[in-house]
Amino acid sequence: MEPAKLLALVKDPNSTVFQKAIACKKLAFVGGKEAVQPMAALLSHPQLACYARFGLEPNPDPSVDEALRAALPKLKGRLQVGVITSIGVRKDAKALDAVTKLIDDSDAEVAGAAAAAVGMIGGLQASRALQAAFDRTKPPVFPVVARAALLCAEGLMASNRPRALEFYTLLSANRMPDPVRLAALRVLNAAGPAPPGAKAYPPPTGEAAEKDQSGFLGRGR
Amino acid sequence: MAKEKQTVTRRRFGKALAQAGAAAAAAGPVLGQAPGPGPVDQAPGPPGAGPIGPVVVGNYALNDQLVFGGIGIRGRGMSDLRQLLGDSRVRFAAIADIRDSAREMVKSTVDNYYKNHDCVMYRDATELLARKDINALLIATSDRWHGLMAMWAAQSGKDMYIEKPAAMSIMESYALADNVRRYGVVYQSGCQRKNQFAFEFAVGLARSGKLGRLLAVHADTAIGLGTVDAGGHGWWAAESPEPEPLVFDWDKWLGPCLWRPYNSAYADRGRGEFWDFHAGLLEWASHTVAMAQWAADMEYTEPVEYAPEGGIFRGDGLISRYTINCRYANGVKLILRNHSWNLLGSCSNRFEGTEGWVETGDSGRIEVSPNLKSLLPTRQGTRYDPTAEHIREFLQCIRSRTPPRANADVTAHAHVASHAAWISAQLNRKVTWDPAKRMFLNDEEANRMRSRAYREPWRMEALATNM
Repeated sequence: MEPAKLLALVKDPNSTVFQKAIACKKLAFVGGKEAVQPMAALLSHPQLACYARFGLEPNPDPSVDEALRAALPKLKGRLQVGVITSIGVRKDAKALDAVTKLIDDSDAEVAGAAAAAVGMIGGLQASRALQAAFDRTKPPVFPVVARAALLCAEGLMASNRPRALEFYTLLSANRMPDPVRLAALRVLNAAGPAPPGAKAYPPPTGEAAEKDQSGFLGRGR
Repeated sequence: MAKEKQTVTRRRFGKALAQAGAAAAAAGPVLGQAPGPGPVDQAPGPPGAGPIGPVVVGNYALNDQLVFGGIGIRGRGMSDLRQLLGDSRVRFAAIADIRDSAREMVKSTVDNYYKNHDCVMYRDATELLARKDINALLIATSDRWHGLMAMWAAQSGKDMYIEKPAAMSIMESYALADNVRRYGVVYQSGCQRKNQFAFEFAVGLARSGKLGRLLAVHADTAIGLGTVDAGGHGWWAAESPEPEPLVFDWDKWLGPCLWRPYNSAYADRGRGEFWDFHAGLLEWASHTVAMAQWAADMEYTEPVEYAPEGGIFRGDGLISRYTINCRYANGVKLILRNHSWNLLGSCSNRFEGTEGWVETGDSGRIEVSPNLKSLLPTRQGTRYDPTAEHIREFLQCIRSRTPPRANADVTAHAHVASHAAWISAQLNRKVTWDPAKRMFLNDEEANRMRSRAYREPWRMEALATNM
């Protein structure tokens, strides 16, 4: 079916949910700029919002980003989560401030989606936003912030290695979730030796060392 | 029909379990196995097959065991579960499933095997993933959940054996491999033919140079291809009342897929005809393309060109007979076809060089060019399920922290190649792929088909989102 006919189905108030859904799905691959606003109008529809996002996400026209940014403050709950996620997938840096604020949303699903999107958008500003969120978020949002920061650090390795390594060091702290902490430590190990002045894990002392007759533990050989 | 088949399978499996338990009681303790309340020492045999012997490796005390959880286990997953239960290194502790019947079936199987009531059931997989005492997972959901579940498992720091196809799109393929690498977990996809003798032999001939200069590797794709317009994509079954989420959670069954009204047919009749729920070409290609890439020593890249030929497009949007000619950057061809094989069984592969050819399939039989007949092993010709060996390799890699044969990277590249071929078939035109840029060249429509947006609230946490 021609894009124009698909678009007419999306716009037609008499089209069924099914017709609009199928039209959005096909417009994902062939829709142009003219398809953006009609599909964006469906972002608040409980059943069709996912089809609208399916149609909008792969469309390279910049008006998609504008439409998603415009929809962001008008939605709540799952529908807002969907738009936040699409912004993250498209790595829309212009939405960074708005999405960062949502990390503090009272809806944990929205807050988590926002943190994940900031991590996917990436860059120096995103790394600072996520670092700031370490201290003011709690589970279940905190682990998402930590994972987003890990993603962000990885993205920074090519463009700003010193900041990336600094970020990885923060992520290797004990307060981080184990999978994130271990991931950060592996990157730091691959990046180079421990920093000057770093101390080895203490060898056994006292009774344990006394029992070691081999000279292996604690004293080396 | 599916229900009837499942019932028969469960009944026969239960019978096999009972027989196994009796055999174990008669056999007494097995050398090397930890004393005490460990698993019985005889694994149940697969329904309709001969008994499987116990797999006892080393001397694993209970506190050395790998604690497993399962997510979405039925059908094929039950076969994997049997192999896991038979390994003394494994203790299976919990099951998560959105179907109460599946949860109960797995719990019953596991508890019967261990002679206790300890297998914990969850409706929500995230609760199982949050358990720090669980080291590894068996994931055997349907296609639409494999990619996202693998990412969740990686983010939870858990190793995983996961059924194929591994990902529903090119983007999801890269995203899952990125997550597995980032979190340093061990991933083995259910591409079990990588540990099946006949396939190993055929791949070995190609990789050793005994076929001369390699010219083409062929992959059997077996099924008709769904397209964007294919059956199920263009229609919704009539809406019927949703079951109680505690019995069957429709929202979670759909997962990241596009919403549609509930109808039991989607879940009970299989998912093959629904483009939304099924990875189409990858049903077999996730096996056979992976083998072909292995044979061609191209496991970490993809072909650069894909040209469909002779596709027969049916009115319902399916492509019933096709050949997709692909070409690697070095000139070697990868040929995907669902016809004209030598009847060596499903999932066939054929590798051709300047000095000979080899072909094999699930029958276990191997055919070679006349000049290579002296190389044929005497062992060939036996059909068997190599899952036990494939799982054994996975368990060894968990200990060594090394990548197994069907690791996430090689799985992702085989999936990207297969998805790219499927896209070329749907568009019915030649497409050119840049493996480094992860994009099609000069073809925006094909590039848009690299991803499928997740339904809210699901999301992938990945860098590879707008490649």
